[in-house]
Amino acid sequence: MSTTSVDASRARRVELILGQLESLPTLPAVAMRLLALTTSEESESEEVVRLIKADPSLTSKLLSLCRRSNMGVRADAISIDRVVLLLGYNAVRNAVLSLKVFQLFHAGAEEAEALDAASGPEGEAASNFDRRGLWQHSLAVAICCELLAHAHPHIPELRPSDAFVCGLLHDIGKVALHMVLPRAYQRVTELAELNQGNVAEFERRVVGIDHHTAGKRLAEQWQLPHEIQDSIWLHGSSYELLPRLEHRALVGLVGLADLVVRRQHIGYSGNFAISASPSVMARAMGLDPEKVEQVAGRLFEEIRLQGELLGLDDQPSQELFLRSIQNANEALGRLNAALERRGRAASRQARTLASIAAFQAQAGSSAGLADVLGRVAAAASEALGQGFYAMVCRGASGEPWLVAQFGPDGQVRRAKYVDPPSRAVQDAWRTASDPGAVGLMALLPWVTDYLIDASDLHQVRLLPLACGEEPAAVLLHDRPMLPPREELEALTLTWAAAIGATVQNESAKRLGEELAEANRQLAETQDRLLDSQTLIRLGEMAAGAAHEMNNPLAVISGRSQLLVQSLGPGSEEHKSAAKIVEQSHRLSDLISFLRMFADPPKAERAPTKVGPMLDELVRAVQAEAKEYHKDVPLSMKVDPSAPPVMIDAKKVAGAVRELVLNAMQASPKSSVHISAKVGPEPDLLTIQVADDGLGMERAVLEHAMDPFFSSKAAGRRTGMGLPRAQLLARAHGGEIKLSSTPNRGTTATLLIPLRDPPGVERSK
Amino acid sequence: MSAHGNNGKPAAEESLTPSELANKMVFTTGEAAEVCKVSQQTIIRCFDSGRLHGFRVPGSRFRRIPREELIRFMRENNIPTELLEAGRKKRILVVDDDEQIVELFVDVLSRDDRFEVKTAKSGYDAGVLTEQFKPDLMILDYMLGDINGNVVCQTVRKIPTLAGMKIIIVSGVVKQHEIDDLLSAGADEFVKKPFNIERLMGRIGELLEIG
Repeated sequence: MSTTSVDASRARRVELILGQLESLPTLPAVAMRLLALTTSEESESEEVVRLIKADPSLTSKLLSLCRRSNMGVRADAISIDRVVLLLGYNAVRNAVLSLKVFQLFHAGAEEAEALDAASGPEGEAASNFDRRGLWQHSLAVAICCELLAHAHPHIPELRPSDAFVCGLLHDIGKVALHMVLPRAYQRVTELAELNQGNVAEFERRVVGIDHHTAGKRLAEQWQLPHEIQDSIWLHGSSYELLPRLEHRALVGLVGLADLVVRRQHIGYSGNFAISASPSVMARAMGLDPEKVEQVAGRLFEEIRLQGELLGLDDQPSQELFLRSIQNANEALGRLNAALERRGRAASRQARTLASIAAFQAQAGSSAGLADVLGRVAAAASEALGQGFYAMVCRGASGEPWLVAQFGPDGQVRRAKYVDPPSRAVQDAWRTASDPGAVGLMALLPWVTDYLIDASDLHQVRLLPLACGEEPAAVLLHDRPMLPPREELEALTLTWAAAIGATVQNESAKRLGEELAEANRQLAETQDRLLDSQTLIRLGEMAAGAAHEMNNPLAVISGRSQLLVQSLGPGSEEHKSAAKIVEQSHRLSDLISFLRMFADPPKAERAPTKVGPMLDELVRAVQAEAKEYHKDVPLSMKVDPSAPPVMIDAKKVAGAVRELVLNAMQASPKSSVHISAKVGPEPDLLTIQVADDGLGMERAVLEHAMDPFFSSKAAGRRTGMGLPRAQLLARAHGGEIKLSSTPNRGTTATLLIPLRDPPGVERSK
Repeated sequence: MSAHGNNGKPAAEESLTPSELANKMVFTTGEAAEVCKVSQQTIIRCFDSGRLHGFRVPGSRFRRIPREELIRFMRENNIPTELLEAGRKKRILVVDDDEQIVELFVDVLSRDDRFEVKTAKSGYDAGVLTEQFKPDLMILDYMLGDINGNVVCQTVRKIPTLAGMKIIIVSGVVKQHEIDDLLSAGADEFVKKPFNIERLMGRIGELLEIG
């Protein structure tokens, strides 16, 4: 179950407990009233007397107390008024409170015992929880507080009578918890004793609330003064951590007294943790450690005296002392037993820790995932013993998984990225949570395909290395015995954390690289976009200007043609006029070419036989070549029986024509060779035009497709041929690729997809 | 081209030269009989019965037949019109809003005495002149100031008497699908500016069947 629901049920339980606290019997009215009256209100003593008189049993108890105290007063002559006068207001108040709190403790005890008797067949000597012992403890703390306060008269905050009351009630929360949840509290005290630990910790763990909080709630319920509430609540905190309360010294004093008393094993507190030394604590509080020592020495005697005085404890001091020694011995014995248990665990854990430490020391400098897996395998071989080890590391969704196999000492024998397995397997992966219990064949049978010479795959078990909810990796091993759960957990957590960190690190690194790559691509795309936008604008301008420019061009061309006709052939004028005609047509070509960028051509596909198409093209080019170029032999290799393909014959031929003209201008040593075939993919027409001419330098090659770029001397069609061919190829969703070696020649490859790529608008 | 070439005398005695014949706009019954190679009486009979339309010279009984009506009559009765057409110059109308282009065409076409050229600078002028001049061929700029070439084509093609007129569209910029539209709208040829004069003249000759 998830932690939230545990928290929820605990919260409900605590609320329940607190609700029951409110229904606890209150302190008797007289005690409440006494608590409300402060020490300074001596004038109220009349009311105290009146209160005591109103309670006959209290009156008699007090009177007998006086008699016992041997004050040299005749018993029959005594009255409450005199007792108050004789003993002093504070003494009477403390005595009354002690009596009443004692009654409260006992009232609960009887109920609890009745319950224990009802539940257990034998009672099992029933309870560890010793209410009488707790009462002794509380009284001892109260007395100790009072003595300590007396010993430090220079600290005004420490008023002895207040200190007594605070000490007396400081553990009231334990009584309350025991009354409300006798069985759970029984378990708390057992655990605290077994672990020699702090009882508050086990209260929180078992009951959900500790006696500090429970006591505070009770004190609030009873409307006790603030210094008492805070003593109950905070006496377990170290002095340095206490808030700067008005009565901080008092609260600290209760904590110190508690410590002194527990160190002397007086009574029973349920708490076995001895956190600090009293002298250190006293110094922190600004008290005199020597005086604390003195008080501790006088404690037994004082308790005896007070007990007698109050008539609360009939045990003579000697007996109390013996009991205390016995308590101390028992505590020592339990401590020894606990230490031995811990020693055994510690030696085991030391090995685990050493393994973890060694692993951590290495893992710091890890390079890649496979590397880390190797280290985990090595560490596993160290901690679990030599044997078969392999590791499966899950890739991110859609990413390959890493399967690695290791030698007996953990060295990598094979590491392989494999395709992510099916969804079902990925789901199975998620359920791989019970270490050691699941067989390889049951959960990840597909992994066996990637493993070599595993002696018996049925012996191979899975150990999920979980870091978070899902395993970061699964360790495959053939160890029959694994370390105890806690240690195994420490190991697997360490390994899983290392693997998880590496995976995250790698994916962060990869993400970074991808980001850089994406950025680079974006920059390139932007550059290209800028280029193409420039061309498109130029093309739009050209389209607009074309009409205006072509008219004057037509006039220039027409007039010069008339001149050519009228001038005698062979004259200089005739040549000039012919040049004017030629150049005006060249300018017109340029305008048409620019317009292609504004309105790129689209393929109008029709079944076309590539062979005849190229034949015709070659004839036309050769005819033209006689006029403009050196006569370059053209060879061609096309399968004549190839079936027709769906292309825009005019545009493909146009593109090939540009490539051929370009090749012829490269001064080929032997010839220009044209080849055409469908392939390498079934829907791709590949036409190659190769020459063994000048070739292109890298820088030239990079810009060969840029309009108006040319490394050749100015001549006809300069710089437009390849870009035009590229546009014609793109009309089919295709492209032109160039490869060239200087002085070895150039091969232009025209790739024409035979189907429009999706999203391409078909021209009508 | 004067409509007043007729001097009122009967012209039966002397036959017309091919050039006179080609340019004559109004015929006497004798001339018409000669062109049609029938007797004058037959022409007169057809005129009087209303099968051949014409008019009488005001204040006299002389019958006169307009050239158009004579051609219609000859075609209707399957009489060859070669004699009438032979020697006649081919009429070409050049329509372009660019004066320099117009001049260039006029210069080019005038060097060939088989052509008679008239020019127009707008679609409106072109419309008026096609009615009057009855060109055999029109060289039409695609983008005129007031109207586009395809509209001119469509309009002209609706006029029955201009059914035989050839149309060549010339333009600096036309997209292929626009060229296709023009050809389907009735244009016979598309020529891109700037053009090769020899090729253009060759094409004109082909279209007018005067190789």
